[in-house]
Formats: sequence, C-alpha cells, structure tokens
Amino acid sequence: MGSRSSHAAVIPDVDSIRRETGFSQASLLRLHHRFRALDRNKKGYLSRMDLQQIGALAVNPLGDRIIESFFPNGSQRVDFPGFVRVLAHFRPVEDEDTDQDPKKPEPLNSRRNKLHYAFQLYDLDRDGKISRHEMLQVLRLMVGVQVTEEQLENIADRTVQEADEDGDGAVSFLEFTKSLEKMDVEQKMSIRILK
Amino acid sequence: MSHQVKGLKEEARGRVKGRARSGSPPTGDRLGRRPSSKRAPKAQGTLGRRGAQRSQKERTGGSPSPGSPQRKQAERRRLGEELGKQEPSKAEGTCKGRRKRDERSPLKEQTAPSKKEKEIPRKEEKLKRHKKPRSSSLASSGSGGESLSEEELARILEQVEEKKKLIATMRSKPWPMVKKLTELREAQEFVEKYEGALGKGKGKRLYACKTLMAKKWVKFKRDFDNFKTQCIPWEMKIKDIESHFGSSVASYFIFLRWMYGVNLVLFGLIFGLVIIPEVLMGMPYGSIPRKTVPRAEEESAMDFSVLWDFEGYIKYSALFYGYYNNQRTIGWLRYRLPMAYFMVGVSVFGYSLMIVIRSMASNTQGSTGEGESDNFTFSFKMFTSWDYLIGNSETADNKYASITTSFKESIVDEQESNKEENIHLTRFLRVLANFLIICCLCGSGYLIYFVVKRSQQFSKMQNVSWYERNEVEIVMSLLGMFCPPLFETIAALENYHPRTGLKWQLGRIFALFLGNLYTFLLALMDDVHLKLANEETIKNITHWTLFNYYNSSGWNESVPRPPLHPADVPRGSCWETAVGIEFMRLTVSDMLVTYITILLGDFLRACFVRFMNYCWCWDLEAGFPSYAEFDISGNVLGLIFNQGMIWMGSFYAPGLVGINVLRLLTSMYFQCWAVMSSNVPHERVFKASRSNNFYMGLLLLVLFLSLLPVAYTVMSLPPSFDCGPFSGKNRMYDVLQETIENDFPTFLGKIFAFLANPGLIIPAILLMFLAIYYLNSVSKSLSQANAQLRKKIQALREVEKSHRSVKGKATARDSGDTLKSSSKNTTQLQLTKEETSPPSASQSQAMDKKAQGLGTSNSARGTMLPASGHLPISRPPGVRIDSGHPLSQTHLWRSASGKSAQRPPH
Repeated sequence: MGSRSSHAAVIPDVDSIRRETGFSQASLLRLHHRFRALDRNKKGYLSRMDLQQIGALAVNPLGDRIIESFFPNGSQRVDFPGFVRVLAHFRPVEDEDTDQDPKKPEPLNSRRNKLHYAFQLYDLDRDGKISRHEMLQVLRLMVGVQVTEEQLENIADRTVQEADEDGDGAVSFLEFTKSLEKMDVEQKMSIRILK
Repeated sequence: MSHQVKGLKEEARGRVKGRARSGSPPTGDRLGRRPSSKRAPKAQGTLGRRGAQRSQKERTGGSPSPGSPQRKQAERRRLGEELGKQEPSKAEGTCKGRRKRDERSPLKEQTAPSKKEKEIPRKEEKLKRHKKPRSSSLASSGSGGESLSEEELARILEQVEEKKKLIATMRSKPWPMVKKLTELREAQEFVEKYEGALGKGKGKRLYACKTLMAKKWVKFKRDFDNFKTQCIPWEMKIKDIESHFGSSVASYFIFLRWMYGVNLVLFGLIFGLVIIPEVLMGMPYGSIPRKTVPRAEEESAMDFSVLWDFEGYIKYSALFYGYYNNQRTIGWLRYRLPMAYFMVGVSVFGYSLMIVIRSMASNTQGSTGEGESDNFTFSFKMFTSWDYLIGNSETADNKYASITTSFKESIVDEQESNKEENIHLTRFLRVLANFLIICCLCGSGYLIYFVVKRSQQFSKMQNVSWYERNEVEIVMSLLGMFCPPLFETIAALENYHPRTGLKWQLGRIFALFLGNLYTFLLALMDDVHLKLANEETIKNITHWTLFNYYNSSGWNESVPRPPLHPADVPRGSCWETAVGIEFMRLTVSDMLVTYITILLGDFLRACFVRFMNYCWCWDLEAGFPSYAEFDISGNVLGLIFNQGMIWMGSFYAPGLVGINVLRLLTSMYFQCWAVMSSNVPHERVFKASRSNNFYMGLLLLVLFLSLLPVAYTVMSLPPSFDCGPFSGKNRMYDVLQETIENDFPTFLGKIFAFLANPGLIIPAILLMFLAIYYLNSVSKSLSQANAQLRKKIQALREVEKSHRSVKGKATARDSGDTLKSSSKNTTQLQLTKEETSPPSASQSQAMDKKAQGLGTSNSARGTMLPASGHLPISRPPGVRIDSGHPLSQTHLWRSASGKSAQRPPH
C-alpha cells in the first residue's frame, strides 16, 4: 500500500480525477505513465504533435478528429485530467455501474456518453448536427480517391435519408443514437485494460 | 377522477406540512436526506457518531465536488422523477394523515401506552429503509476505490453498527417470517462485507487479505486466459493473417485447424484401437501369407519407386486392410481385433457426423442471435466501419479498401434492386453459360472415366512408365487446376450479382470435384468387381497348391514336412487393399499438386513480379500478372474433398488418417508462409461467418456422399478370402453377429435379433420422419413469425418517419411537461411549508413522526406506515405488510373512496 500511494502521489489530485472518471488507482498510474511517455519534452501537458505520433491515430482517417477531441474549445494543450477524462469514455461498463446511485452524474462511460463522444467526431462544426457536408468530408477521409464524387454523394444522401427523422437534412444526436440503437456500443467502445 | 387527483394533491400538501415543521431545508436534495440524519442519532444515541454523520451529510449534500454543477443537475432531475413516482404513496399516506387529524385526541389516548414499544422497531425500520439506497451507493463506491477516506470509514462503521443491532433485535420484530429472513440476510451480508474494512482487529487483516486475494484471482484469471489463448495452436499465426487479409482468409485457416483437430481424433481412434494393438499383439510380419511380400515382388519390394506407389513392403504393412488377420482374438489381452476394426470404421463416420452437425448447429445459433437488420446499413457503415484498434499502416490501407468496397457493394446492391435490363438476353446468356458448364463437367467426367479404364489396362501390363502409372492422378489434378478458371470465365456471361456469382462458382466447382470423385469411384468399383470375379479361381488354385505341397510324394515320411513358406503361397488380389492404395495415392498426389501449385503459382509468380519489375516495360505489380490473391473457395473445397477421400479410404487403409494429419500439419505451416509471403489481400472482403456455415454444409454433404460407397462395399460385397480381418466371412458385418452370438449372453442376442426386426425398425423410421416433419414445420412457422415481426418493425419505422414532424413537436412538448411538473412540485412543497401554522408542541411532534414515516414510505418497497397503529380499523400487523404494491393500491382506493364519501361528487 505504501509504495502505491507514493507512486500515486506523482499524479496531481488523484482523488478528484478518480471520482470523476471512475478509474482505479492502478489504471490511473498506468495512464500517467503513458501520458508521460507521450509527453516528449516533459512539458507536463500534451500538444497535438505529441498525439500525432501515435501510430494508430496516424493511420486512422478520423485520427485528426480524435486528437481534436482531446482539445476542447480550441486550446493547444491537454493536461493529465483532461487526458484521462477523454479516455474515461472508453472505460468498460461494469455490472456494478448499472445499479448505482442515481444521485451521481451519469458516468463518462455510459452508453450515452460513449455515443456522444462518437457523435462529436463526426460533428465537425460542433453544432449538434451531422450535416450532409460533414458526412461527405468524413467519407472522403475514409474511402480516399477510389470512389467517385457522385457515389460519395449518393452514400451521404442515403445515410441522411436513413437516419434523418425530422427532415432537416442532417443527423442530430438523437437520430444518431437511434440509428445506432442496435449497435453494441457498450462493448465496442470499451478498452478492456482501462478497468 | 379529476377531483380525486386534486384531493391527492391537497393531501400531499398536508403531508409536507408536517415535515416542514421538522425544519427541512428548502433545496430538494436535502429534503430527501434530512430525516435520516435526524433520526440516526436518535436511534443510536452516541454523540460521536452524530458528528460523523453530520460531517458526512454536509459532504454529500452540500459540499460541491469538482463536477458539482453537473451533479446537482442530475440530482434535481432525479428528484423530479422521484416526485412523480411518489404520487401514489403520498396519497396512501395522506388518507391516514387526514384520519389522524380527524381523530387526533382519542387516538393519542389509545395509543399512548403502546407507543413506546412500537416506536423502536418502527424507527429502525424507517432507518433501514432509508439506508438502502445509500448503502448500495456505498457499496459501489467502496468496491471501486481501494482506500477509503475517514468520512467514509465512519459512515460504514455506523451503518455496520446499525445492521448489527438490527440482527440482534430481529427476533422481536412484528414482521412476517419471510421479511425477517430477507432482512436478516441482507444485514448479515452487509456486515460481513464491510466489517473487515473498518479495521477491527483481525477483521481488517482478513479484509485486506480478501481484497488481495480477489485481485490476485482476477490477475490469475487474466493470465490464464492469455495462457489458454497461447495454447490454441496457430492462434497467433491466424490472427496475423486475419489482420492482413481479413476474416474471410482467416476463416479458411480456422477451418483447416478445425479439420486438423477432427483428424487428430480420428487418428487417435484408428491408431489406438486398430494399428497399435495389431502391431503389438498381432502375428509378426512374415508369419502368414497375408503379412508377407510375395516371392515375385520380393526383389523390388524395397525400391523407392515401388514404395512411392505404396507397393512392396508398404502394401504388406499395418497401414492397409490386407495385413490384418482374421483371428478372433489376439494377444494375451484377447483383444477382438476384427470387431474393433469394424467398430472403429463405424465410429469414424459417427464421430465425424456428430462433430460436423454440432458445429453447424452452434454456428447457426450464433448467426441467428445477432439478428441482422436491413435498417441503417449506410449509417452503420458510415459511423462504425473503422476499426479503431488498427495500428499498422498496411492494415489501415486494407481497411480503407474494404470500407470502399463495402460501400461500393452497398451501392451495387442498391442499383441492383432497381435495375431494368433486357431480361431475354440475360436469360439466354445464363442458359448458354449453364449449358457450357454442364458440357465441361460431362467432358471432365468422361475424361476421368476413360483414364481410369486405361489405367486398369496399364496395371495388367508390365513395364509401364511413370506417366502411365500416375495418369489418373495427373489428369484429375489438371482438371482441378484448369476447370475453375474456365468456369469463372464462362460465369462472366451470366452477369450475376457478385455474391450470387460466388455461390454459383462454388457450387460448380463442387459439382466438378464430386463428379470426378464419383467417376473415379465407379471405375474403381468396376475394378473391384473384376477382382471379385477372379477370386474364386484363385481360391481354388491356392487350395490346390497347398494340397499338392503337403501330399506330394518324394519326401521322407518320418520327418514332418516344413510348412510352405508364406511368400510362396499363391493369393488373391485383395481388392480392399487395392482400394486403400488408390485413395492413398490420390491423397498424396493431391497434396503434392497443391504444394507445387502454391510454389509455382504463388511464390514464383510473386518473386517474378517483385524482382522483374525493375526491368520490365510495364508495371508488373499493378498491371497484368500482379500478385496472386488467396483463393479461398478453391482451397476450402480442396480441403473438403480431401477430407471426403480420407473418410472413404480410412476403412481400407487405416494409415490414411495418419498421412492426412501430416498433410494438414505441413499445409498449415506452408500455406501460412505462402499467404504471408506471396499473396495480396482480396479486393472484396466478404463476411466470413456466413460462408463458414456454407463450407460446413458442403462438408456434411461430402461426408454423406463418402459414407455411401463405404456402406455399399461393407454391406453388399463379400470380403476377400485370404486378407483382412473379415476374411472367411460372407459379409463384413457378420463380425457383429459373431460377437453377439459368442461373447454375449443369449438373451442379449435375442434382444438384438428382436431389435433388428423390420416390424420394429419401420415404425421407428416412421416416427423419426414424423418428428422431423413436426420440428421442421415448427421452425418454419417460427421463422415466419420472425419475418413478420421484422416487417412490422419496418412498417413502424416508416410510419414514424412519416409522422416525424408531429412527433418532434410532441417530444418537445413532453420534455416541457416534465420540467413544468417537477417545478410545480417543488413550488408546491414550498408553498405548503409557508402555509402551515405552528400547532402545539406535542401535536407537532406526532405530526413530525408521521411525516417522517410518510417520507420514508415513498420508496415503494416495504410500505409499512408508521401511522397504521392509529387507524380505527385495526388489523394484525402481519397482514399489513405482505407486499408493497397491492397494499398501496388498497390504500389508494381507500383514500379515494374516503374522499368521495367526504366530498360530494361533482
């Protein structure tokens, strides 16, 4: 116990982070290690450059969007609590979490929050709606040049047509949730090691 | 009804009046907490605890945590909901409140003596009821964090004390037994769980030990899982391939691995029960004619070219049927080898059938469980197609390609569904293509038949060349190599949807392979019949030779003549071994052709493309030859047919399964290497899960088809007279009868005879047919219902979409309503507080208690009301609290009726 607490002391206000994100101390420590490993110049925060060097993000068509999600409100740096807060979306849903105290705020790893995280990856201008234009942009990222523009527009139209319910030509979060109703988001948007 | 509701609201106000006097703070969330904090000290009476409680209350209720604005909002929302839910219970309480108020003074006198006694349990119950949500929250927080803060510790301590007290006084509670039991159990669990955390002597160590063990156990489980994964053979290899080539290519390797497992079991069966006993306990090589190389072949029996054809010493070894003796029992174990041979032959098929059908069933269950829907295909692809765990750029490129193709496929599907074209031309082309392909199939069948006939002639001749000996295998392999591309070319005429096209292609190649196999079998059968016809004459010759040898003159009569050397005994052709050798050869040549094709077609091509690209006029990699793709359908079908041959041949060549195990093992490594080194991922990645069951279906079909010839030969051909475990019998299955007659008690034989009676078998078969029919119709109707439900959902969605604007408005109004109602509730509460006038002290106390009780009773469960003792209608306590729900209903009804009685109906 003693060694652990001395380790944990490295992280600034562990307790509040833990309360907010629900991470265990051990995984917080691990994340802190990772955080420091990513932080190349020991700045104490991460910049966009730091995140861009992650291989999996570099090849991801939505990688830029994911990196962007670490930097809310256009700030240039993300500190450890912010880092952990984003990652908390991927914490697996435990059984105990389901019957927990309703007084608490919805945990970051709830289905709604997971979906919302995914939603904001697509919502480029953060207006709460995925417009056809935004969809086209993402599509272009995802399929590259092998598909003609016409086909892309076709796909985007189809998607909007499928998911859109109030007829505004864009997909709102509610509609997004509805269209992914059958998707096992709790399972898919969970990383096992982030217990 | 409206006046009732109004009445309820009034009553609710009345109820809250009481509470207001107890000094509840204005904010909603405190309202819920306050009573507990007030009552807890009362029940316990220790000051120190009270302090702890206070501080804790302040922390949870008032002091903001980092995310406090959010939290408060959530709490408020929750409160709103709860208030909505409370309505009925409020009403139920209110009726009592009213009555109490009406009969205030007499009541007090009535209940004064008993009040004290009743107070304690009631209080405790209230307490407990109130604690419940808290303790659960505590449980979650306690299990989540490793160390507890001081406040939390204090809180737990206090609760544990309460629980303990409850356990102690449980006996004297006026509750029904069931409730007592459940309460007791809950309390004990709680105490057990948290006592350790509080550091009471050895409890703390125990607790620490427990948590440590729990953690270790979790870690161990994870390690064990990893270990298990590592123990699965080739898991890493297959995962590697999957990440590069997609699940469809990996599905082939998984299939191969599965096949390897099945073959290992078959190998164990055959080797353990047939070959090893024969080798260990049977007569040794050279002791009897069937175990000796004939004199004529002796010279060349060890030559490689002869051995390569499975002649010579290999032919007269335990690998083939002919080697086995027909002795009933062998060795000191008195092992019944012929019986074992027969039973193993049966169980090979039995096991294979069982395992194939079982895995098919489990596959189907998995696929139906997922329940694919046609809704939102594009949305799913758009939002969820990227696999976020991809970290390799090459794999990422593959993923790009697969996403692109899947989009393209969806578009193709879309276009396909509303495509208009010349139906007559398409029909004509399709008929033409089918005609051409049937011609190809017939031609290939005839070619094989012709070649097999020719090879029979060659086998009679001496000095045949290598080509002439292996003509059948070569022709079959060449057909297998060149026909599929030809079919593909022809299939281009048909203009099918690619997925349908793939199915057709698979079916056609299957037909080709099957046709080839069956032609081969027919030719083989001709051969067998020919040999059987000659058998009688050879039998006579053998008898004659032996007779002459032992009775000939010119030998000293006094010395017994040494037996004729087994190599010199003339013997029959032993058609079973011949069949076994054919299958053995086919298997080996098939394996070699596969490997050579891979080497030439994939590896050399890849080398050529890779290295000649530097000095070539066009881009080899992107242009014409390019790299090879992994041919899933061809490989899977090859594997399936190979397995069919194993099944057919294993009865006559027990060693065949051993060869096959080796083949599968080598091909696993070789193909893994070949795929990774010289193939490129597919253009179109199709789903593996469905095609997997398709493969299994093909395998089942092949298994059934390979069962037929074996069953035919076993049931209707006489075994050779001088080789094999069944020699001397009329039919092979006579060995069963023999065993039953000789080794089992007679009544068992009678039972078997009775069971074999057609009068019993035919009804049994009929019954089975009926069962199949019934189950089939049931499953059909179920799937129909399924489809209908799906259609309904679809229709519902359409309707929803058409009313989307209306619905949008409705939802907006809904949310507004809930907001309004919750705010109304709170305002009402405040209003009622202000309205109430301060009554006298004793009354206020009574009211206070009532209100508290009512407050706690809101939580739907355990609706025991503290005021129930004051009711004029006295009931035994046991009846009151059987379950919360019906009780509250009755109260509701009562309150309603009471009100309607008091007020004139409008």
